[in-house]
Amino acid sequence: MTTDRTTTPATGPDETRFALSCDGITKAFQGVRAVNGATFDVPEGLVTALIGPNGAGKTTVVNILSGSMTCDSGTEHIGGTDVTNWPSYRIARLGLMRTFQLSRELGGLTVLENLLVAAPDQAGESMVNVFFRPSAVRRQERENVARALDILETYGLFHLRDNRASDLSGGQKKLLEISRAVMASPKVLLLDEPMAGVNPALIERIGGYILDLKAAGVTVLMIEHNLSVVERICDHVIVLAEGQTLATGKLSDLRENEEVVQAYLGEVIDASTHG
Amino acid sequence: MQLFWLSVGFGLVTASVLAISAVGLSLQFGITNYINFAYGDFMALGAFVTYVLNNEVLHWNIWVALVAGSLAIGVLAVILNRLILSPFARRFSKSFYVLIVTFGLSLVLLNIEYSIWGADVRFFQMPIDRALHIGPLLLTKYQLVVMAIAIVLMLGVHAMLKTTRLGKSMRAMSDNTTLAMTSGIDTKRITTITWFLSGTLAGLAGAVLGITEGNLTPASGELFLFVIFAAVIVGGVGSIYGAMAGAVLIGLATEISAAFINPAYKLDTAFVILILTLLVRPAGLFARPGKA
Repeated sequence: MTTDRTTTPATGPDETRFALSCDGITKAFQGVRAVNGATFDVPEGLVTALIGPNGAGKTTVVNILSGSMTCDSGTEHIGGTDVTNWPSYRIARLGLMRTFQLSRELGGLTVLENLLVAAPDQAGESMVNVFFRPSAVRRQERENVARALDILETYGLFHLRDNRASDLSGGQKKLLEISRAVMASPKVLLLDEPMAGVNPALIERIGGYILDLKAAGVTVLMIEHNLSVVERICDHVIVLAEGQTLATGKLSDLRENEEVVQAYLGEVIDASTHG
Repeated sequence: MQLFWLSVGFGLVTASVLAISAVGLSLQFGITNYINFAYGDFMALGAFVTYVLNNEVLHWNIWVALVAGSLAIGVLAVILNRLILSPFARRFSKSFYVLIVTFGLSLVLLNIEYSIWGADVRFFQMPIDRALHIGPLLLTKYQLVVMAIAIVLMLGVHAMLKTTRLGKSMRAMSDNTTLAMTSGIDTKRITTITWFLSGTLAGLAGAVLGITEGNLTPASGELFLFVIFAAVIVGGVGSIYGAMAGAVLIGLATEISAAFINPAYKLDTAFVILILTLLVRPAGLFARPGKA
């Protein structure tokens, strides 16, 4: 791909716009290459699944894309801006938010406060504003609280708004993570196994929330092992194996791809048929 | 009974100084996760900068000098963190190494203070103050102002932590730095602000310690540091509200014991309370999950 990504968002041959692109990303841990030249584009406004066998480097890629980890080589672009090895707070402020495989929460803060810290462009961050524009800071804070309460209502956490986040159940923590990401008004959302360890009813609910986000124009990239979920909610699939991009496309097409079946899908389909 | 109320008055004054210093130490620990052994020297430097402005060179009013001296230590704390502590913290994941560096920094700062001001006892330039009867308590105007400063600051710190974006960011970072960063919080900036606040509170605590004790020496901060540690640990390391509560408890206990047992055992009293607290609640009275 030769598109100049530093100035304009990358586009594909059919004029598909890409919200997020990475090119030749590598990352080694003590000599072992966890990511070995991963290259892919995430179409704007769609839900894309990142699938692959265990150890394929999926979480490492998400860590690199979100700035939680730096890459050894390669580049990353968000909407045309080169964000390679930017710190995670700058990437978050540019509109890319993430959740974690094992839910993380700010346990000492209340559920409501967990959302408030993620609100973007806050006037109260500047000491100058705190002292010299207190009314503007207070007004924005009131707006943020109202918006956070709205989001908590949507995600069924409103009644827990004053509870400490550490007191939530596993499923509630998953919802809190997504709510916190939504609070930041993201353009791109990276979800690391959002369905892992949650009950079937909650899987349905989370799937519905992801489709709602897509309808609102948010680009979603999610690591997911559950192929029925991928089939139902993902428009596009990226297959990663041994730290490289093995294939991209629709799941139905990838099922016909022998390499993909051998590396991953065969294993998953076998497991689901025999399980 | 009169002796008791007199010692309660002293206890409240000591608690005020302790609260200011313990909150400063706790704020910084909560964010960086290592104890700053040079904190006592930041206090002494704050007292001496105030002394220079008040008595030695400019003859400013004590309260104006105190504000300027405190802010100067806030700036110094930011510079020392940027140049010395932060590079070590980045290089070594174990906080033990940085703790040793702060210990070395403490020795360097102490000796700089000795080389500039010597070991002589110094005094602020303040009018002689008459004691006032407030209920059963007997307090000077300066002591009352120090108590008022402590109360206002504690309320201010509480309001900042609970209601402002900055405070929430500090609490988020203290809770989980990685998650705070991925939520869009500029942790480097928050660390800098925290060092400024911690340094300012250290400088202020040093200066008000000099005011309430009536004198200052380069070692006064280091000696007081042990009492601050006792207050912070009794309250629960990393907990700001714990530090406030620990300060009141240790401040009152040390002064009341000094009146009824022996002033020489003040420090011992603080450590007896510390040991008893740790036996009953090993993490301190107000420990937060995830912190020490």
